Amino acid sequence: MIGQAVQVLVDAVSVGGLYALTALGIGLIFGVMRLINFAHAQLIMIAGYAVLLFFAQSAVLAVLGAVAGAVLLALVVERMAFRPLRGADPATLLIASFAVSFLIEKMMIMLVGSRPKGVDFLPMLAGQVEIAGVRLQLLQLVTILVSVVLLVATTWFLKSTRLGLEMRAAAENFRMAEVLGIRANRVIASAFAISGLLAAAVACLFVAQTGLVQPRMGLQLVIIAFVGTVIGGLGSLPGAAFGGFLVGVATILLEALLPPELRVFREAFLFVGVAVVLIFRPQGLIPARGLAGRI
Amino acid sequence: MTRRALLTAACVATALSVVSSSAGAQDKPVFGLVMSFSGWFQPIDADTIAGAKLAVDDINAAGGVLGQPIETVEFDNKSEPQLGADGAIDVIDKGAKAILFPSDFDFGAPGAFVAQQKNVVAFSAASDPKFGVQGIGPLAYSVSNAGQAQGALMAEWAYNRKGWKKAYVLLDNTISYTKSLCGSFAERWKEIAGADGLLGQDTFLNGDASIAAQVTRITGLAQKPDLVFLCSYAPGGPSAIRQMRAAGIEAAVLTGESMDGDYWIGSVPGLSNFYVVNYGSKYGDDPDPDVNAFFERFEKKYGKKADVSYGLRGYSAVQAWARAANKAGSLDGDKVAAVLNTFDKEPLVLGPTTWTADRHIEATRPMAIIGVQNGKFAAEGRFSVEKFPQF
Repeated sequence: MIGQAVQVLVDAVSVGGLYALTALGIGLIFGVMRLINFAHAQLIMIAGYAVLLFFAQSAVLAVLGAVAGAVLLALVVERMAFRPLRGADPATLLIASFAVSFLIEKMMIMLVGSRPKGVDFLPMLAGQVEIAGVRLQLLQLVTILVSVVLLVATTWFLKSTRLGLEMRAAAENFRMAEVLGIRANRVIASAFAISGLLAAAVACLFVAQTGLVQPRMGLQLVIIAFVGTVIGGLGSLPGAAFGGFLVGVATILLEALLPPELRVFREAFLFVGVAVVLIFRPQGLIPARGLAGRI
Repeated sequence: MTRRALLTAACVATALSVVSSSAGAQDKPVFGLVMSFSGWFQPIDADTIAGAKLAVDDINAAGGVLGQPIETVEFDNKSEPQLGADGAIDVIDKGAKAILFPSDFDFGAPGAFVAQQKNVVAFSAASDPKFGVQGIGPLAYSVSNAGQAQGALMAEWAYNRKGWKKAYVLLDNTISYTKSLCGSFAERWKEIAGADGLLGQDTFLNGDASIAAQVTRITGLAQKPDLVFLCSYAPGGPSAIRQMRAAGIEAAVLTGESMDGDYWIGSVPGLSNFYVVNYGSKYGDDPDPDVNAFFERFEKKYGKKADVSYGLRGYSAVQAWARAANKAGSLDGDKVAAVLNTFDKEPLVLGPTTWTADRHIEATRPMAIIGVQNGKFAAEGRFSVEKFPQF
């Protein structure tokens, strides 16, 4: 029984970690640009295909390929699609992000077809370890570890480096930051690069877990993670990570605890929860400072 | 009088010429393919289309339909179900006398309704009995076995042949096929193995990022299941198997035709103890030599191995139509349908097929069960369902 409870907890935290990383990637871009980037799903997808391309050679190469692919695509999308629209109405940005997302997905379908492809990535993690009498899945523990490391690293980067400071300044008040001499292009491109890096990490963990890549992968993750960024507090980075984590944990706990006849309505319960949070905390659980008047 | 006679003669002549010219255009055996040639449904339809074209080649080599070679006309519904209706109008305008629609009720229905109104026979490999008299109308036929019978067949096979006693049902609650498959398995399993034989039922969604909670529920069962009946399709299905195996669930995994094929095996390369029901083994070891010959010719024509068994379904649709049209001596939808309704164990490449005026889908026709051990696929044999839930 204890083992079962621990296992549910590990399930919840590992899925929560995956959503937290995804939400943080979305939250970063929203922070500096007020752009809700739905093309984040395609960053995850492209990283997944990079894993497919290289996993047979070596796992390290696959991870590097995933990072390179996602960061490159993020930078290209920023340069070609979003830079010309900088300062545009958030609605315009949102529509543009949908357009980019569709374009990349459909191009991928044209290039590689829509059939899912099997990838046996990191098979050594597909086992269990016994910790204090409880058998736990290795991959889930690695997922939790990677999520914690990346969240800590991102926090450190934002708090302790000059670029991070500039990014936080830009997230709080973009115009003021520009007036004070922060170079917008550099800050925004860096934010996109980091979101690409986070997307690559999510892709590697996700592919190791599901064993498949396909042109529509990442979409479900991004939609749910976006809900996480909203309840966490749009524009707030700790909020995005916390909100994403919370939503991931909630999906697993609802699945585990709801009686069978109600389980099919899991999403309904989840979104009722989201609605309740937004009624009592419309700015999110950890609201962004200085954003209240702008959204 | 002479003038009147002349006028009548002229009228008759004009009418005759109109009739004969339109009859000339209409009497060609044209077969329409309103399928997903592109988009996300494309990989599901691709081999069905390829099978249909192989049948056209074979039938034309043997004399065609009513002495004329079959022509095909195509329309791409771009994986958008509603475009199927436009497609049906388009190919009927081009003379189609029968149309093959995508292998799913929701994708096939919009076009099939149009075909029904225009007296054109509609075929599909949808496993849903609604693609027939009760749903679309008297001119719609499914070449598949009903999903409701496939689950029952797997229940009987698992209990009688494998001697398994404890089952667990895991349903991907996204499409109607998976629901009827798991529903029929559970109902039949409880009849033969008793209610205690079913340890539990659970659901997930194909797009779920993780089924960790569902997997933990299985590992936490007081009794270990002998088998997990999984009703899903790629990508959710193979991903579910990978997640179950990673959690140490070694029970047999059984599933339906929606997980046919070996293209996804890369997700779980050393997979063992997995069984799928489908229409024939493409691995060269089917008990029916016609099926093996079919896949050999398929490979020869297309230069690659079939990656699913669905080609058999496309082939059988054209085969059924050509035979019925030849026997009816007509290409009119209602006349061809009248002959299709008399099919009694008609030997199609899918197997002996029976259709009646009330039922346009098979239930008891033998199906192949393919087993996987150490990542290798091999036929277990062909089996018929004895009893299945009413539909």
